[in-house]
Amino acid sequence: MKQTILTFTARVKPNHVSQLREVLDGMGKDVENNGLIPFPRLKLLHFSSLVLNVDPNYGAYLVFENNFDGLLDPYLEELYAQASPGLHEILSHCDGYPVSNSPDKAKLLSYLRHHVVKPNAYHIGNVGRSVVRTHDEADLRNAIEDFLDDVVKQGSIGSAASIRQRVQAFVQSQPGFGWAASVQPRQTAMEHFLPRLKIAIVAIVALLLLPLLIPLAVIWIIMLRWSETHEPPPAELDIDNHIRNLVTREDRTHIVQNHFASITIVKPGTFRRITLRGVLWVANLIARTSDKGELSGIPSIHFAHWSLIDNGRRLLFLSNFDGSWENYLDDFIDKASTGLTGIWTNTIDFPKTSWLVKEGARDGSRFKAQARDKQTYTNVWYSAYKQLTVQTIDNNSQIRENLFTSLDDTAMRDWLRRF
Amino acid sequence: MAELQPEDLQDIQGIVMSGFGPLHCASYVMLRVTNAANARRWLGSIADQITTSEPPPEEIKALNVALTSRGLKNLGLDADTLATFSRPFLEGMTTPHRQRILGDADENGPKEWVWGGNNAEDLPDEAKAVDIVLLMFAENEDLLNVLLAERRAEFAQSGIEELRTLSAGRQDDSHEHFGFADGMGQPAIEGTFQVQKAAPRNVLKAGELLMGYTNDYDKPADSPRVRAARDPNGLLLLPRAAAGADGATSSQTAFHDLGRNGTYLVFRQLAQDVATFRCFVDEATRTHDGQLDSAARDSLAAKMVGRWQNGAPLVLSPDIDDAALSDADDFGYRDSDAHGFKCPIGSHIRRSNPRDTLGPDGGTALKTANRHRILRRGRSYGHRPNDPRVPDKIDRGLLFLCLNSDIERQFEFVQQTWINNPVFGGLNGEVDPLIGNIKKTETSPVDPAQTAGGTQSDGLFTIQVEPLRTRIHALKRFVTMKGGAYFFLPSIRALRYLASL
Repeated sequence: MKQTILTFTARVKPNHVSQLREVLDGMGKDVENNGLIPFPRLKLLHFSSLVLNVDPNYGAYLVFENNFDGLLDPYLEELYAQASPGLHEILSHCDGYPVSNSPDKAKLLSYLRHHVVKPNAYHIGNVGRSVVRTHDEADLRNAIEDFLDDVVKQGSIGSAASIRQRVQAFVQSQPGFGWAASVQPRQTAMEHFLPRLKIAIVAIVALLLLPLLIPLAVIWIIMLRWSETHEPPPAELDIDNHIRNLVTREDRTHIVQNHFASITIVKPGTFRRITLRGVLWVANLIARTSDKGELSGIPSIHFAHWSLIDNGRRLLFLSNFDGSWENYLDDFIDKASTGLTGIWTNTIDFPKTSWLVKEGARDGSRFKAQARDKQTYTNVWYSAYKQLTVQTIDNNSQIRENLFTSLDDTAMRDWLRRF
Repeated sequence: MAELQPEDLQDIQGIVMSGFGPLHCASYVMLRVTNAANARRWLGSIADQITTSEPPPEEIKALNVALTSRGLKNLGLDADTLATFSRPFLEGMTTPHRQRILGDADENGPKEWVWGGNNAEDLPDEAKAVDIVLLMFAENEDLLNVLLAERRAEFAQSGIEELRTLSAGRQDDSHEHFGFADGMGQPAIEGTFQVQKAAPRNVLKAGELLMGYTNDYDKPADSPRVRAARDPNGLLLLPRAAAGADGATSSQTAFHDLGRNGTYLVFRQLAQDVATFRCFVDEATRTHDGQLDSAARDSLAAKMVGRWQNGAPLVLSPDIDDAALSDADDFGYRDSDAHGFKCPIGSHIRRSNPRDTLGPDGGTALKTANRHRILRRGRSYGHRPNDPRVPDKIDRGLLFLCLNSDIERQFEFVQQTWINNPVFGGLNGEVDPLIGNIKKTETSPVDPAQTAGGTQSDGLFTIQVEPLRTRIHALKRFVTMKGGAYFFLPSIRALRYLASL
């Protein structure tokens, strides 16, 4: 099943910034029940955020992040059906949105379509699991957990096989779980195969073009090293007040999930802009083969994406992740410092880097300072399942997918350990 | 050659290297500055009496001192210098965000505290705010009382007043009030004599526990500093980073290192509800015909803690309280107990230090877990109950003290990402069974929006068993936060500098 990640990004009318901020912050206070976009009714929507970013050079932007099931058209239909008055009000503060008293479907949707920014690279933690499926499987798991509590209470636990039989009988006896037995694959064979084929083709083409690529690579390396050795050292960042503002929004879901939004200015010059575009392209190529819930060893990212905006002069990054900010950034440093250094070293204030991916984020404190400095306040953030981690969702899927399959004794024990 | 030199130990307060175990009695005197000049003079006189970290001769008493950011300000430290301290220290323990990440909500919240709560922006409770804590230790109660009386006689003329004194009296043994041996499982600082008794897996770079040294990222640990012009007599050392590390410029010698050989002290008073705990494990382990089952009870309590009462870790000795292993600390979980069949994944010691479990491989997991270690220096307070199953309304618990150079990355991380994390290690909707922020009653209303799509069953504890786990329900809140603050534990040099302001 396909999932789509994109933002609607629009300039905000300069004299509407504070009005819009008020509107968004009002929504953010009680996001589930906000009067403008009834997120819980958008059955395709996993995560969404609205970020108002004001930059002295680039002006004010509204970034409306959407991570949803299926393709854009059905989602837009649903969005319009559920939220047209609210969207109309929000967009009225944006440049170029036709002023009127009530929303006009064609105009509103066309405005949104024209302001779609597609990611240069993205990651999905639970590939192929729709919002509906995620909720259903969590309900199923919770019901089985309660059932197993009774099994323990009654005292006669028995063998793994007998416990499993009782669970199967229990689920079959519940009319509400009739769907559980018919498992849809997470990905079609094509969805699984194509990204790998693509990498193979790229590798073959690169090999064929080797004679041409080698001189280009030499030139690129020389330019990179020159750039790395001639850049001024990153400035000391004064971020304490900024962090005080950011953390007011963090850790509100019993610490299970958090949101991270940042907009970073790409280092001046075309060299860095081209390099960043290339690195993101490669990153996306690799990220498309991730179907085990991990991005470069990080097991806690639901949806994340990078988009180059402002003609490649700024890098937008949005992430919906499990756990605390500190833990997330530590994971970046400990497990994915190569990849993320390769990306963000092309942006300003990043810790000193050599050979594109060396050093950089490994300077933990300075990297965290840069990340905090470039992080932008998330005015509105919605999650369709605040208490579920990537790993829990995957575990719930595995429980369901293997509920009625035939398992040998070892696999049966593994399956029972999922509870 | 180790970074930390033997002579540095003379500059480091004693509590860093030792918990003063042989000094059975301790009092923590919370003070406030009433007259800055007098208080500074007094601090200068204290500086000469501070017990340092040099390998101790047989002492019968010890004295250490630490200050909150409010205390530094009230002593007259300038705002520029103060701003070089870390954000958690400056903001204090009680910002709304910290209440969320530390689990200091509801009955644990600062509104209910009996002391502390400095700097809370929305509830600046001046009456409870602390500036300075004197950490006093003595061999016996009588001596401690004499020392305390001597100190108290000085206070009035010294520009300070006593807010509150927390006493950790002599306990029968080194067990905390729930009955468990405490204080094992400590990290050791590289380059010091602590290393002799420590397994390599528990040895940390000096910068993890002391400011101004190289930390685990191979960078100098953040350290507060003063402009050279503000230290004309050169009481402080130069930053180590100035010695050729990358990015070092002559501008760094424009600063002197105020933090070097000092660290941050986290102080939390945690009241323990012994009767509720003991009754809970009794009731949860009754046999089918309603009888008490002492073996099952001890086993459940041990499963919650991760060690038996006398200290043997479950992962090494899953079935009996093996005395030979009482202070064993050279172990991991990954190879011998990946699934938690011996030591439950959510047990207190596995949450507080997951060792080699969380990561793609054991080495990486251990390395990353070790970036979140703390050096604990806690002591029990209050008398043991006569009958541990009967509530007696006597205040008792743990005076939790710990040291770390980066409060956010160490103490707060442990509390947030491990102790109070409902999805720690793949668990689903449970927090630390012993000290987690468990709701008072299981039926307390939970915001339905918060639970949408998942479980939020506070009061749950899962014990992994082959073939089927057991879930213990309706855990109560056994530990309640009563007060706390973040302190700066300065070096002797820094203390002299503060006295000279």
